Amino acid sequence: MKKTNIKTTQDVICPFCGTLCDDIEVDVDLFTNDIVEVRNACQIGTAKYFSSNPSDHRYNKPMIRENGELKETDWDTAIEKTSEILIKAKRPLLYGFSSTECEAQGKGVELAEILGGILDNTASVCHGPSLLAEQDVGVPTSTLGEYKNRADLIIFWGCNPVDAHPRHLSRYSVVVRGYFRKDGRNDRFIIVIDPRNTHTAQIADIHIQINPNEDYELMSAIRAMLRGVKIDDKEVSGVPKEKIEELTKIIKNCNYGVIFFGMGLTHSSAHHRNVDTAICLTRELNDHTKFSITPMRGHYNVTGANVVFTWNTGYAYSIDFSRGYPRYNPGEFSSVDLLLRNEIDASLIVASDPASNFPANSVKNLFKHPLIVIEPHETPTSVFADVILPPAIAGIECEGTAYRMDHIPLRLRKVKEAPNGCLSDFEILERIVKKIKEKKGE
Amino acid sequence: MMLNNLILLTGRTINQGIALESGKTTKRNVRATAICAFDKDDFKKLKCFIGTPVKITTDYGEVIVYSTISEEGPHPGVIFIPLGPWANQVVNPNTYSCGTPTYKGMKAKVEVVKEGKVLDAVELIKRLKEV
Repeated sequence: MKKTNIKTTQDVICPFCGTLCDDIEVDVDLFTNDIVEVRNACQIGTAKYFSSNPSDHRYNKPMIRENGELKETDWDTAIEKTSEILIKAKRPLLYGFSSTECEAQGKGVELAEILGGILDNTASVCHGPSLLAEQDVGVPTSTLGEYKNRADLIIFWGCNPVDAHPRHLSRYSVVVRGYFRKDGRNDRFIIVIDPRNTHTAQIADIHIQINPNEDYELMSAIRAMLRGVKIDDKEVSGVPKEKIEELTKIIKNCNYGVIFFGMGLTHSSAHHRNVDTAICLTRELNDHTKFSITPMRGHYNVTGANVVFTWNTGYAYSIDFSRGYPRYNPGEFSSVDLLLRNEIDASLIVASDPASNFPANSVKNLFKHPLIVIEPHETPTSVFADVILPPAIAGIECEGTAYRMDHIPLRLRKVKEAPNGCLSDFEILERIVKKIKEKKGE
Repeated sequence: MMLNNLILLTGRTINQGIALESGKTTKRNVRATAICAFDKDDFKKLKCFIGTPVKITTDYGEVIVYSTISEEGPHPGVIFIPLGPWANQVVNPNTYSCGTPTYKGMKAKVEVVKEGKVLDAVELIKRLKEV
């Protein structure tokens, strides 16, 4: 039999989006330690695996900025410099954590606590409003497996999974056969509510083209119609009254419906009030049939970041430790607001790229203070950092736990070795915590 | 040529997703993310070719990106920039006390630019460091 140097790892969890596909197969060339083939993953997941191979934008060694230039250094020096910056800071911001595993997130909480800093994750600029809404009104939800087996009506409201969660449709929601939905796509009715005729809308049974920023009004109209109230206006949110009546009839008469919602609700002007009313609509639909609602979480472990922060501090994001105990107040302790008010004096960014993802005015203030990044690739944030600590990529080069968008924890697998013995996010944060404790004499 | 009173939306696209995982500082990311997609009829009013750089201006800033016709139209009066550093130069940073900026639904105007170029991600962000 021909000898081969390819190692295949099966049933790998994809560390890209909140769908956490668990059927990926990865081939690694053991001689070069390169990933040579990825099967079953979507295009974006495949790109993420291949991004772990050596390239001119992958960091291999820690770097420190000296006289304006980034220079390679050793781990001890980089950790020493990091702890110096963080101890000196009066109000350090620890941000990111959603693209790493739960054990590292736990260490991040410990670090924020001993520093008396601010701890935030990417939900802050993503599904933070969904968390606020869940705290306000609760959430009738379920797991993706239930939807796969039972749901006959799927509503995608303000989300576009064909582009953002490409395999969600084939694994859980649209073109998948379930125990009670044996005919797959033919057994499901798909509704997309979006201002654009998105790629998801193009494969739906109905697309409701709503005016931007008017989701709240349409949901309120449906809630009113469910209660038998007659709407006086000819149209709501750009949707004719007759179409809303038809929509209401369809969603009332399904066997098991689910609303998946995305940034279309959380990023438009009503923010958490959009999600509030979507949850209330779901709750009221349970008077007529069975209905659930689930946010389409973006980063693969942003749900884990919320869960880990909550069991450690009581709060999911935007946490301030400056008084020695955790306080929570989005708008006050959320990263973008802190940066807009220029209230921080150093930042540690873990597995994230705020320079790309935050509004320009907040990025200006991020760069005014010392910036440390734990990041494997060159990003617009890392290019301007003072210290770069390159980790092994969680879910590819080290193990860990991640939470799927429906709060199911799954174990990430290691498929290859990290370059030059890069440490994992957990090990880096553990060494920073140890060094800071030493310096503080604890 | 200039268009006023458009609504700017931002969001994910699959090409932007692939590009960000393949290298955020690469040319591929510029091609996937530094673009503005117009409704077909709106684009005709600009009287320019696909790929012509256009300047997007909102109350919160301005940015130059490449123009294209949307695959996801018709959406008259609505323009779309994939999320990323280019879109974030012109989004509304106000969180209205919920922590999350208002990334969607800004009023925008668009003009075809004769001078000025589409910057790559690092050049674009460098301008923020220098301010």
